[in-house]
Amino acid sequence: MSAINRGNIRMALASVRSTKWRSMLTMLGIIIGIVSVVMVVGIGEGVKREVAHQIDQFGKDLITVRPGKLQKDNGRIVTNTDLLFGLNSISGLTENDLKTIQKSDHVRLAAPLGLVPGSVKAGDRKLDQTMVIATNSSLPAALNRDVPYGDFFDEEGEDDNVAVIGRSVAGALFDDFVPLGQTFEFRGKTFIVRGMFDDFKSTPLSPASNFNNAIFIPHKVAEELTGNSVQMYSILAKPDKLENAKAAQASIEKRMLKSHGNEEDFSVLDQKQNLAASSNVLSLITTMVAAVAAISLLVGGVGIMNIMLASVTERMHEIGVRKAIGATSRQILNQFIMEAAVLSVVGGVVGIALSIAGVFALRTYTSLKPVISVEAIAVATFASLAIGIIFGTIPAIKAARKDPIEALRHE
Amino acid sequence: MPLIELKDVSKLYGFGDATTLALDEVSLTIDENEFVAVMGPSGCGKSTLMNLIGLLDRPTNGDYQLRSRYVSKLRSGQRAKIRRDTVGFVFQSFNLLPRMTVLENVALPLVYKGISPSKRIKQASNMLERVGLRDREFYYPRHLSGGQAQCAAIARALINNPSIIIADEPTGNLDSASSRLVMELLSDIHKMGNTILFVTHNPELTRYATRVVYMHDGAVVHDEQTAIGDVAPTARRIMFTVPSKNDEDDLAGVSTLMKNVEGDYKEEPAAKKPARKKATGKPKARKRGGKK
Repeated sequence: MSAINRGNIRMALASVRSTKWRSMLTMLGIIIGIVSVVMVVGIGEGVKREVAHQIDQFGKDLITVRPGKLQKDNGRIVTNTDLLFGLNSISGLTENDLKTIQKSDHVRLAAPLGLVPGSVKAGDRKLDQTMVIATNSSLPAALNRDVPYGDFFDEEGEDDNVAVIGRSVAGALFDDFVPLGQTFEFRGKTFIVRGMFDDFKSTPLSPASNFNNAIFIPHKVAEELTGNSVQMYSILAKPDKLENAKAAQASIEKRMLKSHGNEEDFSVLDQKQNLAASSNVLSLITTMVAAVAAISLLVGGVGIMNIMLASVTERMHEIGVRKAIGATSRQILNQFIMEAAVLSVVGGVVGIALSIAGVFALRTYTSLKPVISVEAIAVATFASLAIGIIFGTIPAIKAARKDPIEALRHE
Repeated sequence: MPLIELKDVSKLYGFGDATTLALDEVSLTIDENEFVAVMGPSGCGKSTLMNLIGLLDRPTNGDYQLRSRYVSKLRSGQRAKIRRDTVGFVFQSFNLLPRMTVLENVALPLVYKGISPSKRIKQASNMLERVGLRDREFYYPRHLSGGQAQCAAIARALINNPSIIIADEPTGNLDSASSRLVMELLSDIHKMGNTILFVTHNPELTRYATRVVYMHDGAVVHDEQTAIGDVAPTARRIMFTVPSKNDEDDLAGVSTLMKNVEGDYKEEPAAKKPARKKATGKPKARKRGGKK
C-alpha cells in the first residue's frame, strides 16, 4: 500500500475518532445490516447442520412417507414447503396407506404420525401448545429410540387410554421429574402416563422438532376420540435390513401408487431426500430473510453516502487547501473513498463482533445452535467494504471535481 | 529566460449581463529571484492574478508560460503536480488544517508526493526549525498566534522547495510586529534564490520588494523597480492619500470616508491620473528580460 493510502486511512480513522457520535450513528445502519445478515445465515446454517445430525439420530434406513407430491428437477429435489409441514394434505395419509405400507416388501414396521388437536389438562394445569400425536407401538423402533422411563405401549395396549410423553411435557404438566402413572385429561378422557422419552435432539423445522413437547397416544384411541378423522402428516417405515432400504422404498412407492389410483399425491423419501427437502426449504427461507436483512445494509450505505456528502460540503475549504498545496483530483477522490470505506469497514467489524456475541447468546439461552463460518465473516467484511466504496464514490467525485478556487472561497 | 510570462491574459467571471472582467489583457513578465509586491484597491484583480500564476485558476484568454511551458491548457492533474513542485501558497487566513498538528500541516504537501511518513516528519521538522517553530511542532493551529500560524503556513509552502512563493496578503490578519516577522522570513527566503510574489495593501511592505506592480480594474497600471529597504515611490504617494481620522472627526461623528469623499473628491482623480496614463501603455511596452 502506498504511503498516500496509508496516510488516507490514518486520516480517515482520525476523522472517525474526532466525530464519534456522528460516525457511530452513520455506522449503525451497516452494523444492523451485518448483524442481521450474519445471524440469519448463521441460524440457517446451524439448523441445516442439526437436520443433518438427524440421519444419525433416526438411522439411515428410515423411510418417510408424506402427503403431497415431491417436486423433482433433473433428479434434484426442489423445495416444497407444503411437503415439509404436510400442510397441503386435505386428506393427509390414511389408515389404508398405513396398511399398504405395512404390507409392502421388505418393510419391517411402519408407524403413523397423526396430529390430534385439543388441549391437555392435569389438575389445574392446562397446556394448549402441546402436540398430541397419534401413533402405534412401532414408533420407538422407527425412531431408533428407547423409552428409558417406563415403556411404550405395545400392540395390546393400543386400545387403552395410555400415553408416552416427551421430556418437556413432564416439567410443564406435572411437577414430577418422571411422572409415570400420573394422569391427564384429553378430550374428556383420562390418560395414564406409561412412559417418557429421553431428550430428542432439538431440530427445528424437522418432523421431530417438537417430540420433546409431544404426547404420544395410541392411534386407535385417537380415532375413537375424533370419530376417525385423525390426519396423518407422516408415516415412518423401516426395512427389514439396511441394504433392503432402497427396495423397500420402491415397493412402498409402487403399492401406494396402485392404491391411490396411479395418482402420485404422496412422497416416499429416504433420510437423504428428506434432509434435502428440509435443507432446500431452509436455504430458501434463509436466503429470503437474509435478502430482507441485506436491505438494511443498503440503507446503511445510503446513510454513509449522506454523511459523506455532508462531510464534503463541510470540508470544502479543506479540499481547496489540499488542492492548492498540490493534491490531484484523484488523490482527493481516494481520500474520501477511503474515509467512506473505513467508516463502513469499522461498522462491519463492530457488526461481526456483535454477531459473534449474539450467536453466543443464542447458543447459551435458546435451543437454536447458530454457527458463524469464516465465509460468513469474510463475506460480511467484503460486503461492508464494497458498500463503503460504492456509496462513498459519489461524494468523493463531488469533492474531487471541485474547483480549487471555489473550494477555497467556501467557509 | 523569464520564469513567468503572461501575455494578454484575461479572466471573465459569470455569464451574460452578469459578466465581470476580473483581468483585462494583462501582460506581465517575472524573472527568477524577483520579490514582487502587487498593490491595488480591493477588487482590482490582484488575487485573480495570483491564482492564475499559481495555477489554481485558468485564464479565459491569453497565454501563460511558466519556465517557457504553456501551462494554461494542461490537464488538472498536471497542473496539480506543478503546483505541488513549483509553487508554494501563503494565504491571508493561513489556511492551516485545524484537525492536524503544525507538523502534520507542514508535512502535508509531501503526502501528495508519496514521501514516506518518517521522511516527511523529518523534513517538516527541519522546516519548522528554519521558521523558528520547532518547539510548536505538536501544537494545533488554534494554539498558535497569528504570526506563528503564518510562519507555519510559510514552512508548509516551502517544504517542497518551490521556486515561486505566492503570498496573498500574508500580513492582512497580523499586527505590525507579526507582519514584520513574516516579511523578514519571506525576505530570507528571497535571499536564498526563491521568487516571491505578494499582494499587499500596506505601502510600507514595499520596502522588502524589488519590484512593485500596481493594478486597477483588472489591469496592470504601473510597474516599477524599487530598492530593497525603500518604500516604492508610487506607494509612498498612496501612503499620504490614505484617509486618516482625527479626534475632531470622532467628536463630530463624521465618517472619515465621507469627509474624504466630500473634500478630496475633485483632487483624487487628478492625483491618480498620471499613474493610470503611464500604465496604459507601459505593461505591454515593458521588456524585462535579462534583468536580475
